[in-house]
Amino acid sequence: MPTPTPRRRAFALAAVLAGAAALSAPAAAAAGRADAARPAAVQSPHVQQAASASDGKTLTVATNGSIDSLSPFLAQRALPTAVHRLMYDFLTNYDTKDDHAIDALATKWTTSPDKLTWTFTIRDGMKWSDGQPVTADDVAWTYNLMMTNDDAATANGNFVANFSKVAVDGNNVVITLKQAQSTMLALDIPVVPKHVWDSHVQDIGKFNNDTQFPVVSDGPFILTGYQKDQYLTLDANPNYWRGKPGFDHLVFKFYKDADAEVEALKKGEVDFVYGLTPAQYDSLKGQSDIATNKAPGKRFYALAINPGATTKDGQAFGDGNPALQNQQVRQAIMYAIDTKTLVAKTLGGYGTVGGGYIPPIFGTYHWDPDASSAYSYNPDKANQLLDAAGYKKGSDGMRTGPDGKALTLRILGETNRPDDTQNAAYLTEWLKAVGIGATTSIVDQGKLGDTETAGTFDLAFDSWTVNPDPDYVLSIQLCDERPKAAGKSFAGDDFICDKDYDALYQKQITEYDPAARADDVKQMEQKLYSDAYINVLYYANALEAYRSDVIGSWDKQPQPEGAYWGQDGYWAFWSAKPAGAATPGSTAAAASSKSDSNTGLVVGIVVAAVVVLGGGAFLLRRRRTATAEERE
Amino acid sequence: MSITVSALPDAAAAPPPPDGAAAVRRRGPAIPLRYAAGRVGGAAVSMLAVVFTGFFLFRIVPGDPVRAMTRGRPVDADQLAALRHQFGIDKPLVAQFADYAARVARGDLGTSYQYKSSVSGLIGSHVWPTVYLVGTATLIAALLGLRIGVRSAWRHGSRSDRVNTGVALVLWSMPTFWLGLILIVVFAVGVGPIPGMFPTGGMSGANVHGLFPTIWDHLRHLALPCLTLVAVVYAQYLLTMRATLLEEVGADYLTTARAKGLRDDDVRRKHAVPNAMLPAVTLVFLNLGTAVSGSILAETIFSWPGLGSLFYEALTVPDLPLLEGLFIFFSAAVIVMNLLAELLYPILDPRVRTT
Amino acid sequence: MIADFRRMRAGMAGLAFLVLTALVALTAPLFISPHDLSAVFAPGMPRQAPSGDFLLGTDGYGRSMVDVTIWGARISLTVGLLATLLAVGIGALVGVTAGHFGGWPGTVLMRVTDWFLVLPVLVLATALASVLKPGVGTVVVAIGVTSWPTTARVVRAQTLSVEARPYIERAKALGGGHWHVMRRHILPNVMPLMLAQATLTVSGAILAEATLAFLGLGDPTKVSWGTTLQLARQVGAVSANDWWILLPPGAAIVAVALAFTLVGRALEQVLNPRLQEQM
Repeated sequence: MPTPTPRRRAFALAAVLAGAAALSAPAAAAAGRADAARPAAVQSPHVQQAASASDGKTLTVATNGSIDSLSPFLAQRALPTAVHRLMYDFLTNYDTKDDHAIDALATKWTTSPDKLTWTFTIRDGMKWSDGQPVTADDVAWTYNLMMTNDDAATANGNFVANFSKVAVDGNNVVITLKQAQSTMLALDIPVVPKHVWDSHVQDIGKFNNDTQFPVVSDGPFILTGYQKDQYLTLDANPNYWRGKPGFDHLVFKFYKDADAEVEALKKGEVDFVYGLTPAQYDSLKGQSDIATNKAPGKRFYALAINPGATTKDGQAFGDGNPALQNQQVRQAIMYAIDTKTLVAKTLGGYGTVGGGYIPPIFGTYHWDPDASSAYSYNPDKANQLLDAAGYKKGSDGMRTGPDGKALTLRILGETNRPDDTQNAAYLTEWLKAVGIGATTSIVDQGKLGDTETAGTFDLAFDSWTVNPDPDYVLSIQLCDERPKAAGKSFAGDDFICDKDYDALYQKQITEYDPAARADDVKQMEQKLYSDAYINVLYYANALEAYRSDVIGSWDKQPQPEGAYWGQDGYWAFWSAKPAGAATPGSTAAAASSKSDSNTGLVVGIVVAAVVVLGGGAFLLRRRRTATAEERE
Repeated sequence: MSITVSALPDAAAAPPPPDGAAAVRRRGPAIPLRYAAGRVGGAAVSMLAVVFTGFFLFRIVPGDPVRAMTRGRPVDADQLAALRHQFGIDKPLVAQFADYAARVARGDLGTSYQYKSSVSGLIGSHVWPTVYLVGTATLIAALLGLRIGVRSAWRHGSRSDRVNTGVALVLWSMPTFWLGLILIVVFAVGVGPIPGMFPTGGMSGANVHGLFPTIWDHLRHLALPCLTLVAVVYAQYLLTMRATLLEEVGADYLTTARAKGLRDDDVRRKHAVPNAMLPAVTLVFLNLGTAVSGSILAETIFSWPGLGSLFYEALTVPDLPLLEGLFIFFSAAVIVMNLLAELLYPILDPRVRTT
Repeated sequence: MIADFRRMRAGMAGLAFLVLTALVALTAPLFISPHDLSAVFAPGMPRQAPSGDFLLGTDGYGRSMVDVTIWGARISLTVGLLATLLAVGIGALVGVTAGHFGGWPGTVLMRVTDWFLVLPVLVLATALASVLKPGVGTVVVAIGVTSWPTTARVVRAQTLSVEARPYIERAKALGGGHWHVMRRHILPNVMPLMLAQATLTVSGAILAEATLAFLGLGDPTKVSWGTTLQLARQVGAVSANDWWILLPPGAAIVAVALAFTLVGRALEQVLNPRLQEQM
C-alpha cells in the first residue's frame, strides 16, 4: 500500500502554515495601521508618555459592553459613559464613602435666594492634557452647545433642559434656571475643551471623538487608543489635580461572551470582571489570586403592572387587563409572589428582597415598608383580596371576573435578561395557586420595547439603575412622561398617573434642603408601593472579581460595601494600586493551582470521548469480508 | 457551520450548483463569452433582489431601536423624538424605502444606529478579521478535507476510511457554539494535564511589538476559532472528494494506467485526483461565500472582532441599517463567489470546454 | 430495498438509536411528572453536581438534568421533524413542478431556488425568527423556510430523469393529465429520494434549533436541548465548570444529528445503486 513519505507530510504542513501566515499578514498590517495613527498628534506633551506605552503597570478590564460613540455629546451606552467619567471631570463628583456631592471642576457653589441662580467657582490651575488651562469658559461653552444644538443634546440634553442661561463671570459659571431644580449637584455632563471641540461643532452629530489620539481631556485618565470591538486603552494623567492614578495604563478588552471573560480572568488575561452571574461568582470564590466582591446593587428589579395605558391627555389605548386597574387585584398579585424564594433561587441568594423604589444602597433615600404593610408572601391574603374584588374561584380553582371572563394575565420578559425567564416560571406557578392564569412571552429588547409602547401587556419585568440623585427614576413615573399619542415612543416607564405622586415630585425638585427632600422622596416611594403598579421584587447584588495578584488595593463606593464597577465617579480605577510583587510568572502558578476544580469536566469530557469513540468503533465493526465483496 | 448547509454534500447533491456547467455541456459547444455574460447578468439580478429583500426583511422586524438603545438611560421625550427623527424611522415605510434605495444606489449603506458611524465604514473595518479567520479556516479545512478524502476514497472500506469518515461526521454534527465553548474550557483555560495554551478570545494581545511577536500573537489568537470552524466544515470537503474520486476509481483510463505498469501512487496522483479536483475546487469557492456569514457563532464565542460579532451585536438592538448592510454584504459575498466558481468551471474543466 | 438497508450497519445503528430516542421521548410523560420540570417544585437545588439522587446533577432551576435532557428530546425532535416536513414539502413542490412543467415556469422556479441557495441561511433564519412571535412554531417556520432549496434541486433532477422514461411518454399519450402523471408516476419515484433528503435535513434542523436558541431567538419557556444550553450559558455554567449542564444536551444534539445523517447516507446508498457499489 502506498504511504505518504514523511517529507511530503512535512511539505503539506508547511503549506498550511505558510497559508496561515500569509493570511495573517494583512490583519497584522491592519493592526499596525491603527497604531500608526497615534503619533499624528505630535505637538501634545502627552506623546512622550504614549511612546513608552509598554512600560508601567497595566490594569485590564474585561467588558461585554459596546461603544456607540466616544463623543460625550452622543454616547448613550453605559460603557462609553463610564469611560467619559475617567476622561473628563464633571462639575461635581460623588463622595466615595456615601455618595454626597463633592468638589471636582467646581470648588464651591452658591444659590440665589429665589433658588433660580446657581454660581459654581471653577478650580484654579487645572490643565487639559495638551497644556491649555481648564476655564469656566469651557464649562459654559459645553452647556450652551447642548442647550442650542439638538445634536449636541443627544446624550445629556435632559440635564440642561431646565436651564435658561449659562454665563461666565471671571472664574465662575452662572447658571440661571427656568424653575428651581434640586439636582444641580448631580449634573453628570462631561465638560470638553472648547479650543479642541470648536472645530467639530459643524458635524457634532457625526463626530465620534475617535480620530485623533490621545484625546485631549482633563480627567484622571487619557484615552490613547480605540480598536472597535478589540481594545480601548487609557493612560494615567500624571498631572491630575487629585493625584496620579496608581496604574499607568487602563485597558478595556471587549468580549462578546460572558463565560470567556471569566475564563480570561482565571487565566490572568484580564484583571477585573464585573456583572458575574451567581454561578460564575461561586466558581471564582476561593480561587487563589482572585478576590471576589459582592456589593448591594444599584438596580431594582420590579414587576410592572399595566395600569391601562393612557396618553398624556388621558386617552386610553392598548389592551391591558382591566382587572389590573383594581388596587386589590394588584396587591393580591404581590401577596401571591414569594420574593424570598426568587432571591434564593434566581439570584442564588445574592440579593435583597424588594421594598421601596430606591435601592437600600442609597441609604439617604431608601424607604422600607413596615412589616404590617409589606407584601410578604401570603397566598391566603391574596385569595381574600381577590375574593373581595369579585373574582370568584370556579370548580377548577381558577378565577373568573364579574364580567364572566377568566382571569388570565400575560407576563412579558426579555431574552437578554435570564432572570426574566426564570422568574416568569415561578410567577406562573404562584399565580395559578391563587387562581390566576398566566401566559409568558420572553422576547428580544426591541420587541419588548414595542409591546410596552403599544400597552399590550399585563405584567412586565422592569429594571432600572438608580443614580445617587434619584430624580430621574422618580420622574419616569410622572403623568407627563406618558406618550403624547397612542403607541408613540415615550420616556416614561409604565403609564402611571397619580396626581399625589406628581405633587410630591414637584415638591422635592424645588426642595434644596437635603433632609427635607429625602422625606419627600420616601413619601413618593410609599405612594408607589401602595399603588402597586411598580413592584420591586428584589435588588440583585453586583458580583465582581479581580486578580488580587495584580490589584493590591482599590476603593469601593459607597464604603464599606459598594462595588468597583458602575461607580458614580472614577474612584476605583483612580485609587487602584498595583499589588506589591506581582510578576507575570505568578499567573502560570495561578492557572495550575485550580486544576482540581476541573476534575468534573475532565471526567465529563472523557465520557464524551468514549461515546464518540464508541460510535466510531461501531462504524468500524462492519465486516471486512462484506467490504471486500462490495468493492468488487 | 451547521446551519448554512442544511444537508451533507453527497454524490447525489454534489457538486452543488455547477448546474450552469452542465447546461453548457448539454447545449454543446458554448461561447465562453456568452456564458460569462449570462452568469454575470444572473448575479446582478440576484444582487438586486437581495437589496430589495434586505430592506423589507429587516423593516418588518418589530422593535423600536430608540427605546431599546436608551433603555436604562436618563432621556426625556424630546431626546427620543430627536433620535427617531435622526434615524428616519418617523417616516412612513414607503418613504423609508425610497431613502434606502437612493442611498444604496449611491453605495451608501446608511448610518448605524448604535455606532453612529457609516455602515460601509463599519463593514470595512470588520471585514479583514473575518476574511483572515474564514480564509485560514477554509484553506486548512479544504487541504485537510481533500487530502483525507483522497485517501479515504482510494482505500474505501478500510479501517482508516471508516475512522476518518466517522470522525468527520461526528464533528459535522456538533453545534458550532458548543464546540467553541468546550475548546475554550479545554485549551484556553486548561483542564487537568492540558495547560491553557491559547487566549480565550480576541484577535491580538495588547502591547505586542515587533514583527515576529506580532505574527506569533496573531497565530495564537487564531488557533481556537480556526480549529472550531475547521472541525465543523471539513467534513464537506472530505465527503465531496471521496464521492467524486470513488466515481473515478473504476474508470477505464485508470485501469489502462495501471496496466501500463504505473505505480498505484502515481495512478492516484497523476490521473485520478486531478480529474476529481473540480467539484472540490467549486465547493471551496462556494463555501468561502457562505462561511463569511457562517462565522457568526465562532466569532461571537471567541470575541473575534469581525463581521459575525458585529451582526450578533446589531441583532440585539436591533440596529436596522447595520443588519441590512450586513445582509447585503453577506449575500454579495456568496453571489460573487458563486459567480467566480461558475466562471472558473469551464476554464478548469476541459470537458466543459471541448464537448 | 429494506434488505439492502439492513446491510448498512451504520445506518441501522443510527436508526436503532433514533427509534430508541423516539420511544423514550414519547413515553417521557409516563415517568417524568410536570412537577419534576416545574421551576417552583424543582426537586433539587440549582446546579447540583451529579450524585446518587441526580445522576447528571441539576440545571439552573434545580431540575434533574436527566429529566431535562429527556424532555428536551421532545421539543428538539418535534422542531427538527416539523421543520423538515415543511422544508421537504416546499422543496418537493418546487422541484416536481419545475421538473415536470419545465419551460419558463421551471426556469423561474429554479432561479428563485438558486437565489434562496445564495442567501445567507443563518441571517435569513435569524431575521424570520425575530419577526415572528417567539415560540416553537416560529423556529419551525424559520428553519423550514430557509432549508428547502437543496431538496428542490435534488427533486427536480430526479423528476427530470423520471420524465425521460418511456412509460411517462406512454402515460401522457394515453391522455394522463399533469396531475395524474405527477401523482401516479413522478411522486412515487421521487418519494424515496425525498425520504433520504429529509433525514439529512433533520440533522441540520436540529442543529439550527440549537443555534437559534443560542442567538436568543428560541422560546426560553420551553425545554429543548437548545434552550437548555442557552440557559446554561446565561447562568454562567460554562465558566463555573458545571459540565453536567453543558455536556448532556450538546452530546444529545451530536448523537441525534449524527444518527439522522447516518440513516440519510445509508438510504441514499440504498436508493442510488451507483453509490451503493462504491461503498
